[in-house]
Amino acid sequence: MKMMKRWLSCALALVMLLGLVGCGGGTDEGAASDSGSESTGDEIVINYPTFQVGTNTAAPVVAELVNRFNEEYAGQYRIEIEEVPGDANYAERIQVQISSGQLPPVVYGGGYALLDLALEADLVVDLTDVVNADPEWAAMYDNDAWQAANCRDGKIYASSSEGQLIGYFYNKELFDQVGIQPATTWEEFFDNCDKLLAAGITPLAMDTADGAWVSMLLMGAMVATSGDEGLEFMNTKYPTDYNIEPVVNAVAEMQKWYQNYTTLDAVGGAYENAANNFFSGNVAMICNGPWMIGDFSDTSKTPEGFDQNVGVATYPGGFVYDAPIEGMFVTKQDDPALEEAAIAMVKFFTSPEAQTLALEMQGMVPAAASVEITDTATTNFPLLGEFLNMASECTVRSNTFTGNMVPGLQDLFSAELPNLANGTYTPEQFCQILTDFATENAVA
Amino acid sequence: MLTHYKRTPTQKVARGFSYLFMALCVCVALFPIIWVVLSSFKTNSEIFSNGLSLPSHFSFDGYVQALEIAPILKFFANSLIIATITTILNVFCLAMAGYVFAKKRFRFKNTIYAILSLSMVIPTTALMSPVYNIITKLGLYDTKFALILVYTALNMPISLMVLRSAFASIPTELEEAAYIDGAGFFRTFIQVMMPCAKGGLASAAVLTFLESWNEFTFALLLTSSTDNRTLPLSLSYFTSQFSFNYTAMFAAITIAVLPSIIVFAIFQEQVNASLTAGSVKG
Amino acid sequence: MKQKNGGWIALFLAPACILFILIFAIPLVMVFVTSLFDYRLLPRTFTFVGFSNFIQLFTEDNRFWPIFGNTVKWLFIHCIFHVTLGTLLAFILYKKPRGWKFVRVTYMIPNIISQSAIAMIFLNLYNAQYGAVNSFLKLIGLESLQHNWLFETATAFPSVTLTWFLFAGYTTTLVLAQLLSTDESLIEAAEIDGATSFQIDRLVMFPVVKKMIGTTVIMAATYMLQLFSMLYITTGGGPGTDTTNLPLYLYTTVKANNYGYANTIGVVIILLGFVTMTLIRKIFGMNKED
Repeated sequence: MKMMKRWLSCALALVMLLGLVGCGGGTDEGAASDSGSESTGDEIVINYPTFQVGTNTAAPVVAELVNRFNEEYAGQYRIEIEEVPGDANYAERIQVQISSGQLPPVVYGGGYALLDLALEADLVVDLTDVVNADPEWAAMYDNDAWQAANCRDGKIYASSSEGQLIGYFYNKELFDQVGIQPATTWEEFFDNCDKLLAAGITPLAMDTADGAWVSMLLMGAMVATSGDEGLEFMNTKYPTDYNIEPVVNAVAEMQKWYQNYTTLDAVGGAYENAANNFFSGNVAMICNGPWMIGDFSDTSKTPEGFDQNVGVATYPGGFVYDAPIEGMFVTKQDDPALEEAAIAMVKFFTSPEAQTLALEMQGMVPAAASVEITDTATTNFPLLGEFLNMASECTVRSNTFTGNMVPGLQDLFSAELPNLANGTYTPEQFCQILTDFATENAVA
Repeated sequence: MLTHYKRTPTQKVARGFSYLFMALCVCVALFPIIWVVLSSFKTNSEIFSNGLSLPSHFSFDGYVQALEIAPILKFFANSLIIATITTILNVFCLAMAGYVFAKKRFRFKNTIYAILSLSMVIPTTALMSPVYNIITKLGLYDTKFALILVYTALNMPISLMVLRSAFASIPTELEEAAYIDGAGFFRTFIQVMMPCAKGGLASAAVLTFLESWNEFTFALLLTSSTDNRTLPLSLSYFTSQFSFNYTAMFAAITIAVLPSIIVFAIFQEQVNASLTAGSVKG
Repeated sequence: MKQKNGGWIALFLAPACILFILIFAIPLVMVFVTSLFDYRLLPRTFTFVGFSNFIQLFTEDNRFWPIFGNTVKWLFIHCIFHVTLGTLLAFILYKKPRGWKFVRVTYMIPNIISQSAIAMIFLNLYNAQYGAVNSFLKLIGLESLQHNWLFETATAFPSVTLTWFLFAGYTTTLVLAQLLSTDESLIEAAEIDGATSFQIDRLVMFPVVKKMIGTTVIMAATYMLQLFSMLYITTGGGPGTDTTNLPLYLYTTVKANNYGYANTIGVVIILLGFVTMTLIRKIFGMNKED
C-alpha cells in the first residue's frame, strides 16, 4: 500500500508537470478570444474559425487564399485560422456565438441559415455600399439565385464563392455489364435500377444519418421534376407544408428504394458509408456534387484506376440542383478597423480570382456565372467539364430538399427516415411529422 | 482465507455455475476490446470480408494513419490538461470547504451543507441549456477554462462528501496541538490537516480525474474547435474522416482506450478504494 | 474551542459556494423559470407563457411520451437487472474462488474506459457489414438472422440496451468491498449452526450489504438519468424516437435553439430524478441520513 502511494504521488507529479508544460505550449492559441483580434503593432489580426481544414475538399484552397491575403496585406491585416473540423460542428458553434452576440469578424454561411440567424440578432454588417462601389463585385449580384443566397430586403449582406451544382455519378463498368445508359426519364431510371438488380448489382448508394444527403438529393430531384407545384416547393425557403402530393409521392418512392435498391448499411449509415459503397464498386450510382470528383482518383479511398470508371449525369427531366451556397458575411465589431479588415477579407475570398483558384485546384464550381471555366480546370478534372456542359443544358433547377428546411428539421428528418425505410410509417405519416415540426418551428 | 464450506453435490453444481458465470463476465468485458485491438491490425479489405478473421500480418500502419487523420495526441493533451487542472482545483477548493464543515462551528452550517448537497440529487443533464447560456454569456464558449470550471463544479458533491468525512475522522487533538504551537488557521490546515487527510484527498482526486477524463456531454456542448476538444469526443468527431479507413479507426479507438486500461491495471487498488470511499454515505 | 475565525471560514467556503451558485443554483433557477417562457433564438423571443410549454409537452407533443417511456423503462431495467447482475457476481467472488481477483479487475475495465469509446466499439460490433455479431451469425450459417442491429425498429432498443446493461463492474466492486469487510465470525457462527452456503448468503450476508446495494441502485438510476453519449454515438436516438431518452431529447431541443422548451424537459428530468431517488431510499430503508 505504501509502495502504491509513492507510485501514485510520482504519477500525479508527472501528470502535473505534463499539464503545466502543455499549458505553457498550448493555451496561447486556445485562449485567444473568439470575437476578436489582438492588434500587434498596427497589424490587425482576423481570427477566422473555419471547417475548411484537414480532409475538407476546400482546405488547400482556403490555406492558399490565406497565404496570398496575408502577403498582399502584409503589415496591415493578417488572417489566423482556427480549426473547427466538421461543418455541422462549425454551424453549431456559430449559433452559440450568435446567441451570445460575439461573432468572429468573418462567418461562412454555408447551408445552415447562419446569415438569417445572425441577421435576426442584428449582428451583420450591410455590404450594399461597399459592393456597389466596386463594379466587378457588383456584377456578380446580377443573378436571382445569387441574390436569394446573399441578399435580404434588397440589401447585400453576404458574398458567395462556391456554387452548388449537383447531379449524380455512376459506375460505367457496372452500367456496361447490364448494357444501360444514364436515364432521361424517371421511368427509364427505375427500369435501369431493376436491370441492375436482376444482374445482382445494388443500384443506389443511400444513407439516413446526417441529413441523409445522398438519399435526399435523389428524392428532391423527383419532387422538383414532378411539375410546377413540386418545383415551387423546392424553391421555397422554410416551407411548412410537406403534405403535398409531389412530396408524398417522392417519399413513397424513396421508401421503395430503401427496401429494394440499396445496401444493408444504408439505414443508419451516413454519406461516408454511401460513398464507400460507391468507391468499392458495391453500388452503381450515387448522388453528389462535383466536389467529389477529386476523391475518384484518391487511392487512399478508391482502387487504382477507379476514376476511369466513373461517369456523370444530370437527373431525369432535365434537372440539376443549382443554388449558390450562402456566402461569407462580415459581423459587427467594436473596432471599425477590424470590420474594414473583414470586408477586405470577404472581398478577397469571393473574388473571381479566388473562385478560379478553387476551380483549378479542387474542381469546385464557381458561384458567379461570370467566372469562366478555364482549360486548366477541365484538363485537371475532365469529368467536371463534362458535367458543366450537361448542367448548362438543364432547364429545371432548384435548391436542395433539406437546404430549405427550418432549423432542427433536418435532424428530425434524419432520425425518422429509418422508420420510413422499414415501413413503420406510411409516406403520408412521414410527411405529416415533417409538417408538424415545420409548423411548430416556423420562421416568420 | 480457507474455504468455509463442506462440499455436497449441489454445491459442486453451484461451484460449476459460479465458474461459468465468472467466465462469461470476463468474456463480456474483454471480447469487445480484444476484437477492436485485433481489427486494428487487419487491412481494410480483411475487415470488410470477414469481421471475425484474425489479421494476416501485424503492422502498425493503422496507428500511423490514425495519428495522421486525427490529431488524437492533441485531444489527449487537452484531456490531460483539463482533467489535471480540474482535479487540483476541485480537490483544493473542496478540501477547504470539507475541512470547515467537518471541524468548525458557525452559523447556518447545516443549512449551507444541506443546500450544497442538493447538487448531488440534480441530474446534471437537466442543466445543459442554462449552463451553456451562462458559459456563453461569460465569453467562455469553446475554451478549456469553461470545461475546467464546469467539471470542477460537477464533481463537487462527491468530493465534498468524501473530504468532509476524511477531515471528520482526524482527531481534534491534533488540530488543537497545532494551535497551541502557535500555528494559524491557514497553516494548521495546510501543514497539519491536509497531510492527515491524504487518503480522502487521493480518493477525491481519483474520482474527479476519472470523471473529467471521461466526460462527454458538456464537452460536446461547450467546445467546438480542435484546440479545446477532449479525447472522448475525438472518436465520434472524426468518424467521417475514418470512414474510408477502418483499420485507422480501430487503431484510434485502441489509442483512446489503452492508456486508461494500463493506468487502471497499475492503480486498481487505489481506484477501487476511491470508488468505495465515494459511495459511502458521508 | 472557539476562535475568531469567521473570516477564514468564509474564505474557505467561498470557492465551493461560488461554484455551486454558478453551475448549480443559477442554472437550476433558470431551468424552472424559463420553462415558463417561450424562449428561442429564431425568431428571437422571450415571452411569459405560463404552463403552456408543459401542456404542449404532455398533451400535444407526440414524441414526448414514447421518449419518457424509454427513459423509465431503462431506469427499471438498470436499477433491477443490471444491479442484480453485479451483485450476483459479487456474491460469487467474495468466496474467493480461483481467479477472483482477475475477474474483479477485468470486469471493471469497461467501466473505467470512457463511455464514448465503448459506444464506438459497439457501433462497430453491431455494424451490418463487418460487425462481429453479423460475422458470427454468418460463421455458424445463420445468415437469415443477420440484422442492421442498431437501426432496425425491432432490434434497436434491445441492442443499444446491451451496450451498458452488461457492464456492472461498479456494482460488483462496491458490493464486493462491503462483503469482504464483513466480520468473518458472523459467517463462522452461521456455519456452526449448520447453515448452508446459500442460506448464509441469503440470511446473513444479504442484510449486511442491503444498504450498499441501495447505493448502487441510486448510482444506476443517476447513470440512467444522465445517459447521453451511448445513445448519441450509437443510434442517435433512432429509428424515430425508439431509442431517445429525455437527456438526448433535451440536447436536440437546445440545438434547435428552443431553450424554453428544452428547460421544460429539464424540469421533467429533475422531477423524475427526485421521485426515483425518494422511492429507492424508501425501498432500501436509507431515509436516515448520516
